Amino acid sequence: MARRTKIHVGLEIGTSKTCMVVGEVKADSAVKILGIGETKSAGVRKGEIFDYSQARACLKDALAKAEDASDVEIGSVFLAVTGAHIRGINNRGTFRLPDGEPVVSPDHVEEARTIAREVHIPQDHVYLHPIIRNYWLDGFEQSTAPVGLYGKTVEADFHVVHGIGTRIQNSIKLVREMPLEVDDIVFSPIATAQMALDREHRQRGALVIDIGGGTTDYALYLGGAITASGCIPVGGDHITNDIHLVTGLPFSKAESLKVNEGDASADPLHSVGNAKLTDERGFAEVEVSRAVLNEVIRQRLEETLRLVKQRLPADSVEAIGAGIFLTGGTSLMRGFSELAFEIFGRDIYRPELPEISGIQANFKDPRYATSIGLIRYAQILETERAEPPGLIGKIGSLFWPFGR
Amino acid sequence: MIPYSRDPHQIIPTSAVKIIGLGGAGTNMLERIALDGMEGTELLALNTDIRTLGSCLAGGKIQLGANLTKGLGTGGDPELGHQAVLEAEDPIRAAIKGRRIVFLCVGLGGGTGSGAAPIVTRIAREEGAFVVVFATMPFAFEGKRRRDQAETALNELAVLSNALVTFDNNRMGELVLAKQGIHEAFVAADHMICESIKAVIRLVVRPGLINVGLDDLMSALRTTRSRCLFGSGMAEGRDRAVKALRNALASPLLDQGTLLKDAQTVLVHLCGGENLTLFEIELLMQSLHKLVPEKAHILFGAAVDPAMGDALSLTLISALPEDSLAMAPRDSLSSAGDNDNPLLDPSQGFTPPSSVARIAAPAAAQALPAFVPAAEPEWPAQSSPSPVFEAVPETPAASPAAPELSAFRRSLAAAAATAAPTLFEDERPFAEPSIPAPSSLSGKPDLDTLTETVLPEDPAEKKPAVMIAEFVAVADDEDEEFENYLEAIPAVEVVKIVEAAETVEAQADEEPADADEEYHSYEAVADEGETITDPSSIDHQELESAGFGKLPPKRPAGIKPWSPVVGPKNYVPDLDDEPAPAPSPEPEAPKLRLGIKPAGPQSELSLDSTPRGRFEGENPNVFEGEDLDLPPFLRKKK
Repeated sequence: MARRTKIHVGLEIGTSKTCMVVGEVKADSAVKILGIGETKSAGVRKGEIFDYSQARACLKDALAKAEDASDVEIGSVFLAVTGAHIRGINNRGTFRLPDGEPVVSPDHVEEARTIAREVHIPQDHVYLHPIIRNYWLDGFEQSTAPVGLYGKTVEADFHVVHGIGTRIQNSIKLVREMPLEVDDIVFSPIATAQMALDREHRQRGALVIDIGGGTTDYALYLGGAITASGCIPVGGDHITNDIHLVTGLPFSKAESLKVNEGDASADPLHSVGNAKLTDERGFAEVEVSRAVLNEVIRQRLEETLRLVKQRLPADSVEAIGAGIFLTGGTSLMRGFSELAFEIFGRDIYRPELPEISGIQANFKDPRYATSIGLIRYAQILETERAEPPGLIGKIGSLFWPFGR
Repeated sequence: MIPYSRDPHQIIPTSAVKIIGLGGAGTNMLERIALDGMEGTELLALNTDIRTLGSCLAGGKIQLGANLTKGLGTGGDPELGHQAVLEAEDPIRAAIKGRRIVFLCVGLGGGTGSGAAPIVTRIAREEGAFVVVFATMPFAFEGKRRRDQAETALNELAVLSNALVTFDNNRMGELVLAKQGIHEAFVAADHMICESIKAVIRLVVRPGLINVGLDDLMSALRTTRSRCLFGSGMAEGRDRAVKALRNALASPLLDQGTLLKDAQTVLVHLCGGENLTLFEIELLMQSLHKLVPEKAHILFGAAVDPAMGDALSLTLISALPEDSLAMAPRDSLSSAGDNDNPLLDPSQGFTPPSSVARIAAPAAAQALPAFVPAAEPEWPAQSSPSPVFEAVPETPAASPAAPELSAFRRSLAAAAATAAPTLFEDERPFAEPSIPAPSSLSGKPDLDTLTETVLPEDPAEKKPAVMIAEFVAVADDEDEEFENYLEAIPAVEVVKIVEAAETVEAQADEEPADADEEYHSYEAVADEGETITDPSSIDHQELESAGFGKLPPKRPAGIKPWSPVVGPKNYVPDLDDEPAPAPSPEPEAPKLRLGIKPAGPQSELSLDSTPRGRFEGENPNVFEGEDLDLPPFLRKKK
């Protein structure tokens, strides 16, 4: 009963790009990226679709590219969703064991889980994920299963992610119309965390901040379990827009100034003189004082990071042991890690720009973190969902003990 | 057919109206009515429980079952309530005596309410009053027993009362935001009921241009075992017709108008200031037609009240059989989408004056303003049963108006091929091009087409009242009106506040407050999975900017359109040239409004028109009072 190679597809309809990653999960759980289809997004703003037909065209294009690159016919995808309406909250379900049953049974645990999952969410919201964090037995933390232990009360901690139903439906509808099946929907930062963090990071405490084009998504892991997640509707587009508003430059120029010249470190050495954009003939087209440019960028990013910090539970930043992982296109901004360190005071890990191009390089590119994270998420889900071996499986494994 | 003589029989003075609150819930409703201010009408509280009765603000109080329950409540036993009210039959009878209309507010399900309501109704009927019962049904979580008691009483009331308006408490939860307290939920519910009582009184008591009376109200509510659909909206400003409709539809009892599509009969009542135009009515009715089935019987009424000023109020009343309500789809999102776009189309009709002719006959177009000055804030003509224009001449502006009005009427009459020498011809030619004249209109001309014909005596003196758009029909005391307005506004504004709060809430990542629980108990009742009611999905600003940009400025309130008129010829260009600037009393207006802004949803959120680059025109991305779409660089410099 050796597990077969499985192909998963991750799709992220982002504000700046629509990206589809085809990954192969091998029998030994290694992941190989077969191909990436990426196209510039249109019709998406702050992580949410506002122009349906444009977004559909982009998705079609990305789908064709991904199929081309990977030589796989894509039938279903894991979809990452984001948007300011999506929120993560923690809830604890407490179940008191009935009299005469001193030992925790699976039913009791299940009951506690059910209670914990019942979070009051606004009427128009739907659940995205109920993620189990850990169990408590009589007030003591039991991060693994408490089944079989003596106890009086079982508590289950859940992190429940919910968002406005219709907006999530819009993304699903878009994908279904390709036509593609949606295997699962995943809140973006949770997918990103699968990619960015390993088990040890999560255990020690880590914060993933994914600053994309239109949104900033974050997920905080403490003690191996997710503690907070959310989305702030501010991203790289806002920086471009800020430059445009402050300097009056057109968007295209503002964008290339941001990418090529911007610096968020507040280091005065980086703010000397003017930043110039030259046209193809070498003439200076645009000239902006670096001091202004950098200040605009810095203030925006600083505010965004502070908003993230503000939304995290109290004292949780101090509990982060592993560090803060920055991903997303905007995290490539020069001086960003200095800024992040200033605000959070924790170790900052930031992916560097890949030096070589090619499929392999994509692993390192923070822009693909979410889509690749989706593959990992799919892989984890696969293992969780895999049926425990039944009788036949057990007999089978007697004959073939090398599988699984 | 237009009876210009005001027949005193057709006017029901407010003093002939009695509002009775019965039981605990009824007393609460009464209290709300008393707080909201309803001038002229008498309030009577009936309860077994002496404590709640003692603290009630109502003018009249009668204790039920003084010997039976000894000042305590009935403990939820309808039988006790029944006996208690029989004990107090005589004082009740005396209190109701001589009243033309009795409104009975009662919360069904409890002892006093369920047990006594049928008796009180019977007594009132025996005294010759027209009885309108406003009943609330208990929450689902109150259990089946109470529900059954309520149903029993409701069945009796349906037989005994002239009109029965039922509110389901389960739907009241939708009136308020999740985070608001239970107190606010009940206040909102009582307010809603109070609002509808007011609307009914306004409808019944005051004759309008196109009148709707008790008969229309009864036919609108005629379905047996029905739930009342009620919506009232007020708006002023440029696209007030559409806004008023939207506000009216925002009533949870209407469910964004989705529930109207099963309605058999819909009563629509419009009340506007002197600048109410026929096209606004047309626009509004066109939008409304999209919501009601084609075969529905629309009872249309319109009134002009100079005190409304620039505002326009709309009241929708209908009833649905209870079973169809249960099955009615609750997806208000789809209906919101339906509403919005069609509303945009007819606005084109406003822009070119030539299109006036396309929509309705020019004569009809002029006919309406002709009525405008005719409306009046008071009832001086009550004493003069003769044709009312004879009472007018003391006002100089009115005298030229009178013969001219007749000239218009004559031209109307000519169009209708009735060259009768009567001054005042049938009003229906005016109504017909736009509004399907309800059969009851033509059937009972004397009652339906009362036209008021006295000008406001002194415009200067009337100015405050002009700006204070108020709900209540009879304008006696200006101060009281203003209070009414203050009270009435929140009903309209509640929706907007909810919307604003929703958008903020969507961005603020807060843990749901404890108050949520109460909200969710409502939610659980109203099958939570399917109901996606997101008021914030209606993008008001977009609608505003896209749809009604070209709307000409309305004739300012308080201006007598007739004063410069010399002859009919002079008047015609004046009307066609609507955007013509007229001297306006606007500067005085803001003082009187005391900072209340009924118009422009969320206008206070758009931060003083700072350019926002690529996020221009979007909903502000507000987080903790700061618009995240604006550069922090610029924000911090300020």
